[in-house]
Amino acid sequence: MIPLSWYLILAAALFCIGFYGVLARRNAVVILMSVELMLNAVNINLVAFWRYLNPNDISGQVFAIIVFAVAAAEVAVGLALVISLYRNRKTISVDEVDLMKW
Amino acid sequence: MIGSISSEMILAILPEIVLLALVAVIFVVDLVVSDERRGMLATITAVGLLLTLVLTALFSRPGPEAVLLWGGMLRHDWLAFIFKIIFLVGALLTTIFTIGWEPIWRKGEFYVLLLTSTIGMTLVGASGDLIMLFLAIETTSIPLYVMAGFLTRDDKSNEAGFKYLLFGAMMTAVMLYGFSLLYGFTGTTNIYELTTAIGAGEIPAAVLVGAAVLVLIGFGFKVAMAPLHFWAPDVYEGAPTPVTAFLSTASKAAGFAALTRVMVAAFPSITLEWTTLVAIGAALSMTLGNLIALSQTNIKRLLAYSSVAHAGYALLGVAAASELGVASVVYYFLVYVVTNMAAFGAIIVVYRVVGSDEIADYAGLHRRQPLLGLVLLLAFLSLAGIPPMGGFFAKILVFAAAVEAGLIWLAVLGVLNAIIGLYYYLIVLKVMYVGESKDADKPLPVLRPHSAGLVVSVVALLVLGFVFGPFYQWAVSSASALF
Amino acid sequence: MSTVQIVFLFVGFMILLAAWMMVSRSNLVHSALWLVVALFGVAVLFVLLEAGYLAVIQVLVYIGAIAILMIFAVMLTRGDVESLTHITNRYAGWAAVMGAFLLFGLVIVLGQWPAFQTTSPEAIESANPVLDLGMAFVSPDGFTVPFIVASVLLLAAFIGAIYAAFPRKKGE
Repeated sequence: MIPLSWYLILAAALFCIGFYGVLARRNAVVILMSVELMLNAVNINLVAFWRYLNPNDISGQVFAIIVFAVAAAEVAVGLALVISLYRNRKTISVDEVDLMKW
Repeated sequence: MIGSISSEMILAILPEIVLLALVAVIFVVDLVVSDERRGMLATITAVGLLLTLVLTALFSRPGPEAVLLWGGMLRHDWLAFIFKIIFLVGALLTTIFTIGWEPIWRKGEFYVLLLTSTIGMTLVGASGDLIMLFLAIETTSIPLYVMAGFLTRDDKSNEAGFKYLLFGAMMTAVMLYGFSLLYGFTGTTNIYELTTAIGAGEIPAAVLVGAAVLVLIGFGFKVAMAPLHFWAPDVYEGAPTPVTAFLSTASKAAGFAALTRVMVAAFPSITLEWTTLVAIGAALSMTLGNLIALSQTNIKRLLAYSSVAHAGYALLGVAAASELGVASVVYYFLVYVVTNMAAFGAIIVVYRVVGSDEIADYAGLHRRQPLLGLVLLLAFLSLAGIPPMGGFFAKILVFAAAVEAGLIWLAVLGVLNAIIGLYYYLIVLKVMYVGESKDADKPLPVLRPHSAGLVVSVVALLVLGFVFGPFYQWAVSSASALF
Repeated sequence: MSTVQIVFLFVGFMILLAAWMMVSRSNLVHSALWLVVALFGVAVLFVLLEAGYLAVIQVLVYIGAIAILMIFAVMLTRGDVESLTHITNRYAGWAAVMGAFLLFGLVIVLGQWPAFQTTSPEAIESANPVLDLGMAFVSPDGFTVPFIVASVLLLAAFIGAIYAAFPRKKGE
């Protein structure tokens, strides 16, 4: 069988790639995609922990489903705000959105 | 297989049920009412929130013993109860101050988002489970992203919503990763079972500290703890002022409710490590917040940095990790909500007439509207911690908690910071009372609901200062629910 | 090395490759398609973990809804050429250092945890895990409150998203 550590290391790596994407990219849509990578890493963690350590307690899967719901809500609101910003400013590059100093 | 629902369970979520019913009412009214009469949406929301507040205070009081309800999702205790009251007061005052604020007060969407966010907060305060807590935090934040960017044609508001969303989404992911590790290490998502599982001692301290750091980063962001405060000034400045008021009071209080509950309940075995981190965060927040506030010319930005500093003071109570510490945090927020609401309420009133948030435009305010000047004076003196305002006792309590916990250096730093803080509050007051302005003899009308909101906040602020006892007793009983 | 291990290594490699391509491509439509590959890989992992229901949800919600929304957003904002020619901001170097440091830290921390060495999962006793999941969501001593709150959140997000993205005239 696959050791638990493989899943956890994979999730950690995915999380860090997402983290890098959020910090490094300029385009807001790609930043939101990177956040999705981070949330997926969390879900791999949750499901792996559920399967390996407590398969008879459903809470790990419930947690993962709640993460799905929240991710959907966050993306919907996020993209709406991005489009609204684009309509006003014709840019969605995070470092050009600096009317107020950061 | 399916359990039953007892009346106790219903009463515990009474505020949430009433708020949800209120959301439905807003939907219907928004649909049927004509455009000219849309202003009634704000009134309905305000009346509904007042009703929720009364019903909560009457029927949703917890018993002397804390109980876990709804399968451990919610904990019905005094901490949750008092924070619910704080959030509802914050939402009520916010609603009152939106009256007359174009175009917000004609938009049913705004009040639906405000109420949803409030539902999220009341659940944050009561969460006994990581799943519930995560969901409640997001239910608080996601509507707030839209509310911060609510003026979609206004570039600054737009930018505020956008920045808040991007930072918020990322920090949520970091916090969630911490939650997933906690679940993995302990095999449970219940915050009160976490302690037992950790107490069994199978988990090395280093591993636990790693998870605690991730969780702290998430909460630190929500309460604007330095160095995770970078979003606060821009979002506070750009968001519509009533939303800023809500963010800086109720939303911050929600962050603290989660912070105290989770850190105290889940990590007793690594208290030294996490309190040290919180103490460093507190020191940085107070110092950075106050020093940068000194050079601000926009009053909303000034209050943003001041709110970073206030998060720092309240963190002293968290860092103490004692009963007195938690009680001081609760008392701090009882005072801080009404104080900051009074200050922001006055700013909203001035903005309506003057159309500016620059401190220079507050010159001669005292002559234009003496009572408004008095409100700002009392609010700022309370923020600065001058006796006999509520803010004075709040500060004394957090400093006492820090000293009791042996964090004397932190308490000394806090006192030094309070002196710096006094300086910039007094500068604003000086502009207001001594400053010369060519508009000094123009009157500054105040809407009747706004004056009611201001009077309520100022009276509450004075009561919390003069009648210290019963409220302190509340704070103590809520703290004892945690230990 | 067993077959499932080989499958895992292949899928894991695909996920990380797709994730890296997603954050490093300048063509946003390509980025979005790489995201779909990564999300699909995660769905395969859920199957390997015997969480079939989650795998289905992953495909439906993430690929069917979220990734498609992303592609829409890419299309609607394609006038922002600037962010396509200079894809990273000036902190990209620091971001890479922080990302690497975080990964290093996480692996070190996790490595000290005894259960990290677990090699084989415990048996699932339940005959019908999907039924358990459904029951957990509707039973009052289970996860009813989160279930309802999640629907309230989705409704609020829906309203907020429509409000924010709705085109409106000047001055409104």
